[in-house]
Amino acid sequence: MMTASEQVEKLYVERGKRARELRKKGKKIIGYFCCFVPDEIITAFDMVPYRIQGSQSEPIDQADAYIEPMACPFARSSFNLALKGRYDFLDGFVAPHSCDTIERMYHIWLHNKPSSFNHLINVPHMLGSGSTSFYRSELAYFIKSLEDWSGRKLDPDRLKDAVRLYNRRRALLRELYELRKTDPPQVSGTEITRVLVAGMGIPAEEHIALLERYMKEIKVRPVPKADKLPRIFIWGNEIDDIAFINLVEESGAQVVMDDLCTGTRFFWDDVPETKDPLDGIAARYLNIHCPRSNVPQMETREKDLGNRYGYIGQFVKDWGADGAIFYIVRYCDTCELEGPDLREYLNSMNIPVLMVEDDYSTSTIGQLRTRVQAFLEMLG
Amino acid sequence: MEAKEQTKTTAVKGTNTARKVRGLVKQIFQSAHEAKAQGKKVAYFMVTSQYDEIVRAMDIVPMPTENFAGLCGAKRDMDRFLLKAEEDGYSQVLCSYTRIGLGFDSLRREMGRIPENSPDGGMPMPDMMLGSSAVCDPRFKWYQAVGRFHHVPTYSIDCVAPSVHADLNEVRDYYIRYQKEQFEGLIAFLEKQMGKKMDRERLWEAIRLSEKAWRLWYEIDRLRVAVPSPMPAQDHFSIMVAGLYYAGTQTAVDFYQELHDEVKDRVEKKMGVIPDEKYRILYGGGLPPWHTLWIFNYFESFGAVFAIENVYRGSDPVEVPSHVKDPVEYLAWRTFLRYTQRYEKAKANSGNPKVEKLLEMIDDYQTDGVVFHACRSCRAMTVGQIHMKNLLGQHTDIPMMQLVSDMVDLRDYSEAQWKAQIAAFIEALAGRQAN
Ligand code: SF4
Ligand code: SF4
Repeated sequence: MMTASEQVEKLYVERGKRARELRKKGKKIIGYFCCFVPDEIITAFDMVPYRIQGSQSEPIDQADAYIEPMACPFARSSFNLALKGRYDFLDGFVAPHSCDTIERMYHIWLHNKPSSFNHLINVPHMLGSGSTSFYRSELAYFIKSLEDWSGRKLDPDRLKDAVRLYNRRRALLRELYELRKTDPPQVSGTEITRVLVAGMGIPAEEHIALLERYMKEIKVRPVPKADKLPRIFIWGNEIDDIAFINLVEESGAQVVMDDLCTGTRFFWDDVPETKDPLDGIAARYLNIHCPRSNVPQMETREKDLGNRYGYIGQFVKDWGADGAIFYIVRYCDTCELEGPDLREYLNSMNIPVLMVEDDYSTSTIGQLRTRVQAFLEMLG
Repeated sequence: MEAKEQTKTTAVKGTNTARKVRGLVKQIFQSAHEAKAQGKKVAYFMVTSQYDEIVRAMDIVPMPTENFAGLCGAKRDMDRFLLKAEEDGYSQVLCSYTRIGLGFDSLRREMGRIPENSPDGGMPMPDMMLGSSAVCDPRFKWYQAVGRFHHVPTYSIDCVAPSVHADLNEVRDYYIRYQKEQFEGLIAFLEKQMGKKMDRERLWEAIRLSEKAWRLWYEIDRLRVAVPSPMPAQDHFSIMVAGLYYAGTQTAVDFYQELHDEVKDRVEKKMGVIPDEKYRILYGGGLPPWHTLWIFNYFESFGAVFAIENVYRGSDPVEVPSHVKDPVEYLAWRTFLRYTQRYEKAKANSGNPKVEKLLEMIDDYQTDGVVFHACRSCRAMTVGQIHMKNLLGQHTDIPMMQLVSDMVDLRDYSEAQWKAQIAAFIEALAGRQAN
């Protein structure tokens, strides 16, 4: 039998393979973008949620005829794969209105590569109780559309079960992140990325089983001596490839914590187990910490930054980060506007920051090496 | 037939009324500075956020920051602001309007005063900032980011539109409810800032004025179906100032009335923008190239006139049901109806409401070609143009082209490339006419 690490590696490399197998067995596969489409809902319908990813190692060679080059390269790359037929196994395609680009992309994708089921979920940019109930209505409408398409009614008990299932996975992932607190961390940033990405295209139960085995394996690994390498917190958007994190680690650092769409952002907070499960789901998902959402302003600048980034401050303290690297996918307006504010906050905690912007491509990532090295040297 | 280049002329034979816009723009800045001097409140504000009338009803003087950015572009005084923002850590690909705004505010803080010789006197320090999610993402993030340079009360609202495939009967109620809540939240915020309640009658009055202005504007555009074209796109890019920056005021109504009379007169007298109108062009979308507006005259030198455009006047008049008696609810309904205007039509045809609008324009205005302007740093108005072009191509065979630059950042513009593209486009127009 394969070790858990080998299985992770396999799932990471052969993306979509497991979903295709399940599909052959009659499962419906529902692809979606970003963090705002609740896995719980899809799972409660006994379908498999599949987080759509791009490919940092493949050039975007077909999308130009359909979408402008000044759109987010993550979105473009995902669509490029779709054009090449690599997402033909999706029975459903769901996009949240996370940003301008994803909303545009939904319509372009839909027109050129429609799935059997297609749906856009509107996600308010503002936060507050009115926004949560609006988003809840959007989720109810999403459920209704899935019901109409599948011809099956959603059983609220199954939705409750799904909430518990995903909370279990979240708890395991948080446990895995605990292993990053030591010096050196028991599990590297590169390994973390692999195991997270591996889990994005398989049923939660399978990911849970895999995580349990994986953690057992890690825990019995021999403990290396403290290496005193700089500990890095990483912030940004979609990093669904190990390339960049690997580059940082190879340059002589430990990536110990993150706030990424493909990291803590998608799993950190549990869904509260409310009487009506949709209430808890709506509240939890809308309040995901993402630059595309607008946190209401506080009375002073200091309080405002504290309110927006307090959780990051806690991450940095608890995981003992010495510096932060922002990896921003180019053309992501919300991240680009957020970066300097977060830098100000982290600098006020005496955490140096390196902000890099990249084209979401392994061929350009290499060019960042010198800047990363210089930054790490400065951290000492 | 070969297109022979005519002597290039800078004499825009546009309308006389459009020439008055310069005064209106100056007035925006002057009023804001005067208001500050008199202790009135000034707000940074985002146009077409559907809340214009609320701001007017609260006696707040709006300072549209995007307008300032466009103005800097038109005056070619943008680099110092763009560069300052980039120095502060904002990406060179971030919306250039936003970069200009941030750069301006950063410079002001650093210098302790408005940067010298800022276009039209620059923007006074706002008492509050009002963002919105209407149109694009930067429009609510921008003011949050400005908090770094001056922390003044800031409030943003959502403006929500369902997807074109949504069943409107299923979603209408909760969309309108949320929209109304968003406006109510803004009103509560403004009441706190102003220390007074909003007068609902005044809100009705502002709504009445803005509807009147927008209807006149719509009618002006309807007059423009005439051949030869009585008013060119360059005029549109000026006269939108009344509709966007003066919505809810008598000034806008008077302005459009005058323009309406003039355009009507020109139509009756068959006065065209250019003497020999060979081709009629549809400006398919994207913000205009403020840095190089003479390019429209360049097109004219080949006998091509831009008859109509798909930007700024985002919707045609809508009918809010008569049972709606509350002005805030009216605004919520109006927002929903504006946003979903061509949804049913799109569902039955191309699937895309914007494409439906373009197809109507191609038909009504008898246009021979379509030109899009892609702005590298404005995702919202740019991403999707190629898609629209592809869809349009399934319904019409008129030539189309996409020019690429930016609305203000000159670093993204190449005159030589544009001229070459335009030459090829004109040739295609000529070729098609010859057949
Ligand atoms: S990275 Fe930014 S632009 Fe790209 S999909 Fe995510 S939020 Fe949108
Ligand atoms: S991205 Fe485009 S629409 Fe948005 S503020 Fe900038 S210029 Fe305006």
